[in-house]
Order: sequence, then C-alpha cells, then structure tokens
Amino acid sequence: MGSQKRIGKELAELMESPPAGITVNLVDEANMYEWKVLMDGPEGSPYHKGKFQIKLVLPTEYPFKPPTVSFATKIYHPNVTNDDKGSMCLGMLRPDEWKPSSKIGAVLEFARQLLSEPMPDDAIEGRIAEQYKNDRKHFDEVAREWTRKHAS
Amino acid sequence: MNIQDFLAFDSEANSDHDMPVDLRSLDFVSSYDSHLMCPICHCPLIQPARLQCDHVFCQKCLRSAITTFRSADSEEFPCPSCRTPTSHVSTNVPRLLINMCDEIQVRCPFLAEGCQEIVPRGHIQSHVDKYCGHRLMPCPDESCDKMTRKKDLQQEERCMHSYYQCSRCEQDIMEQDYERELKKHIETCTEVVSPCVASKYGCAAKIRRAEIAAHEQSCPLVSIGPYLESQNTRLNSLELTMRHLQQRNEIFEDGLSNIRSKLLESARASEGHLNSGRAAAEGERGRQNQVDDLDDSMNSSNVFSSNATTYLLSLHESLREEVSQMSHALTDLDARASMTIMNECLRIKEDMAHTNAAVNSVRMQVQWLMNPRLHNGARAGGMRTNASAAGTESPRSQLTSTSAPGPSQAAGPSLGPLRPRRPSDSGREGTKL
Repeated sequence: MGSQKRIGKELAELMESPPAGITVNLVDEANMYEWKVLMDGPEGSPYHKGKFQIKLVLPTEYPFKPPTVSFATKIYHPNVTNDDKGSMCLGMLRPDEWKPSSKIGAVLEFARQLLSEPMPDDAIEGRIAEQYKNDRKHFDEVAREWTRKHAS
Repeated sequence: MNIQDFLAFDSEANSDHDMPVDLRSLDFVSSYDSHLMCPICHCPLIQPARLQCDHVFCQKCLRSAITTFRSADSEEFPCPSCRTPTSHVSTNVPRLLINMCDEIQVRCPFLAEGCQEIVPRGHIQSHVDKYCGHRLMPCPDESCDKMTRKKDLQQEERCMHSYYQCSRCEQDIMEQDYERELKKHIETCTEVVSPCVASKYGCAAKIRRAEIAAHEQSCPLVSIGPYLESQNTRLNSLELTMRHLQQRNEIFEDGLSNIRSKLLESARASEGHLNSGRAAAEGERGRQNQVDDLDDSMNSSNVFSSNATTYLLSLHESLREEVSQMSHALTDLDARASMTIMNECLRIKEDMAHTNAAVNSVRMQVQWLMNPRLHNGARAGGMRTNASAAGTESPRSQLTSTSAPGPSQAAGPSLGPLRPRRPSDSGREGTKL
C-alpha cells in the first residue's frame, strides 16, 4: 500500500514539527486514515481562544484522491456547513482541484488561514456569507458567541 | 514515449532480482533535499520520469497517477503537480538527479534480523542480493514453510526450525535463535535456581527465581546488606589510605637512611683526620647501630640521635685539638721572633760602637791637624798689630810662606800699602777651622 507509507511519513513529520496552532493525532492508533486535529482559533479572528476539533479522513487512494476535512466542533463560518457534519469547503480539496503533490500539512494550514479570512464568495452557507459581507460586526458577535459556547 | 507505451513498460517489475528491495520503505539515515522527493510518494525519486511541464515523479507513482486521473482511454492526463494536460512521458532524466537520489544512505531492510549495514541507496539491492547475511531465505526443508537467515543456512542445509525446550521451564526455543535467545531466556527464566542476593554476605539459600523475591523479603542478610556494603566500602577506602601511607613511610625511611649514611661517612672522614681512638670507637658503635637499624626500624630515630651526638662530640674534640696545636705554634713563633730581634740588636750595637770609634779617631786626627794652624793664626795676629807701626814687610813674607806663589804675590808688595786688611778677613780666618 503506497498510500500508507506516504501517510505515515506525513503524520510523523506533522507530529514532530506541527504548524503553529495545530496538533495532530490519530483517532485510532491502528487506523492511519482517520486523523484528529486540534486547531486553535487564530488571533485577530472572532474564533480566537477557541479550540476546534477537526476530523480529517484520508481516502485509501490518497494521494490521488483528496482528504475530507470536517469540523467536529460547531463553528459559525461561511465555509463550514452549519450541520452535524460540519464539512469544510476548501477549494484545494475539491476532487478536480486536488493535486497529489499537496501535503496534509498544507491543507491544515490552509484551513486555519480560512478561519482568519473566510471566503464568502466560495461559501457553502450563503446566509452566513451574506451577513459576513454586509454586517461584519454582527457576524463577529455571533461567531464569538458560538466560539465561547462550543469551542472553549 | 506516449502514455500507452509508458503504462506498458514497467521497469521496476521487470527487474531480474530474486528479491527486489522496496526502496520506498527503506529507513533513510542521511537527510536529503526535499526537491529529491517524489511529490506523490514523498520518497527520494525511484526511476524518475519527466513530463512536458518538467515535473519529475517516480515512474511507478506516475503510472498510478495516470490510471487514476486519466478519463477513459484519452491520450492526455493532468500533471499531478500542476495539472497541465500531458500526453508525453520521458524516462530520460538528468543523470545528476538519479545519482543524488542513489547516494542517500539507507539502512539494510534486515535490521530486525540483525544487519547493521548502512549503504547508499543505489547499492542496497546488491547488498541484499549478495552480501547481507541476515537476509531471510526459505527453509531448505521443503516441508518447513518458515524463513531462515542466510548466514545460518550456509554449512549444512537443514531445517533450523525444530524447537528445544528449556531444561527448567516449559518454554520452547527455536534452534536458529539458539545463541541469541538462549542467553536472554536464561536471564529471565523463572525456573532457574539462583543464589540469594545476599549470598556474598553468607546467605546460603539457593532458590528458584520465581520464589526468590519472597525469600529476599525475609532474609535478614538482605536487610543488613546495605550496612555491610557501606562497611565494605569504608574498609576498602581505609585500606587504600593505609597503602598510601605505607608507601610514603617507605619513601621517608629511604631518605633517612640516605642522610644517616652521609653523616657516617663524614664522621668517619673526621675520625681519620684526627686519628682519635675514642672517635673510632664511637664510629664503630655507630656502624654497629646502622647494621641493627636495617632489622629494627623502630629504633632508628633513637639511634640516629645518639649518632648525631657522637658526631658532634668528635667534631668538638678535633676542634679542641686543633686549637691547642695552634697555640703551640704561636708560642714557638713568638720565641723565634724575639730571638732574631735580639740578635739583630746586638749586631747593630756592635756596628754602632765601631762607627763611634771611627768617628772619634777621625775627630782626633782633625784636631791634631788643626792645632798647628790655630797656633799659626794666633801668632800672625800678634805680629800684624806689632808691624802696623814698624812696616808692612813681615805680613807679606808670612803670606808667601803659607800660600802657593802666584802673580798676585808678585804684585802684592806693590799693592800692599794701598789695600788695608779689613776686619772681616780676620773673622773669616777664625771660622775656617
């Protein structure tokens, strides 16, 4: 299994020198395809001081197929579905945009970047995106409220 | 070549090695540049292939990428790095890239079997094929389906997988692991009879390892073990210091005997000089003492001090002797000096008497010679007073008789009456004699 070797390499790399604000673990030591990522809300965003748990699932065809990223912690964000799944819509994770040369570390860093700067034009939750664009102050308030309620 | 050809051409599968090494699962020892890494498998490139967009991948990775991304039987696929539509693959990559990837140091894949080799990646296949003694080979026994290490196989081609039982416990050990496993097993086997930890302190108990813990809890010798241990270390350290002191003592004794022998030599030398019987006796005793010292070092300091006094005494004796000699010599010299002085004095006195006599005789002669002249002078004075009235003839004749005849005498009589005799002339005559 070529995928396992590469996943193992990437996991070891991320555990040894994790990117800022990101901690990586396996959900189950025996299963390398499901990762549990803990992400700190970036400073300067309404998610600051929140701790968000992210589930990262890798396909067996990895790195030829993209991983899926979903928020286990509820988050008020235009690019994350406001449901139980909490799937995140990342451009680079779309199957037709995915490149085998992309690394999981880069995906996670990109996700954290998305918390700082949501992309309302590429939104999955249109209502939140609208609010983000037109009533930023109110959006920040609600996001902060959610962060305090769910992510601390 | 185009995609179809590339997919059909599988160089890795074509290798003629009986046991191809999976280069992707190797343990890389040296660090390598991330640019040498295939973006798909994240390993240093293995048999790289290049696309039109200049991206390089392992051929195997590229093949799986093509099969995954190519939409059914099309002539194109997107580059896994930049998604440029590509139809051509070149297996012709710079030699430099291959060399750099091949010289990365890796561990032999049979590390678990005991092979510690680290070789460049390019040599690992030949290492495993030819040189690695830890490589697993199928058991020579057809009926046995296990693997055995290559080095165990060499001499007799027989199955090494029969089990042997530990003579104490039930555990089985395979023959091929005999050397390595047996040692480990003996150290851990619970049935092995081993002595109590306090055996060195006298506990005679020898019990199976499983029960030894219980024994050690109750064994009194184990409980005083630490105390005995500390006593032991103390004793050892004391012994050490004692040895040190002994060595130092020996050094000092050597020094002392050196000094003593020197003193004896000098004492003997002074003895010889003085030739004193008493000193010789002392020296004899000293020498005797020295002989005794060799056996009895306890007395050494005592004897040494008595030796010193004898030495000093003899020195004192010799000095006194010298002083008396000096005083003798002094009196001798004194007498001699006074004798010579007296002799000299006598001689000088004699000489002086001689000279006195000589002077006296000369004086006598002079007086004798002077007398007629004085008489003459006195007579001439009387006549001149007389003749001043009578004439001047007689003084002129008197003058001729006393002094040598000269021209003045010839003219004298003519001048006589013109020059009167001055009173100073007569005075001068008187002082002449």
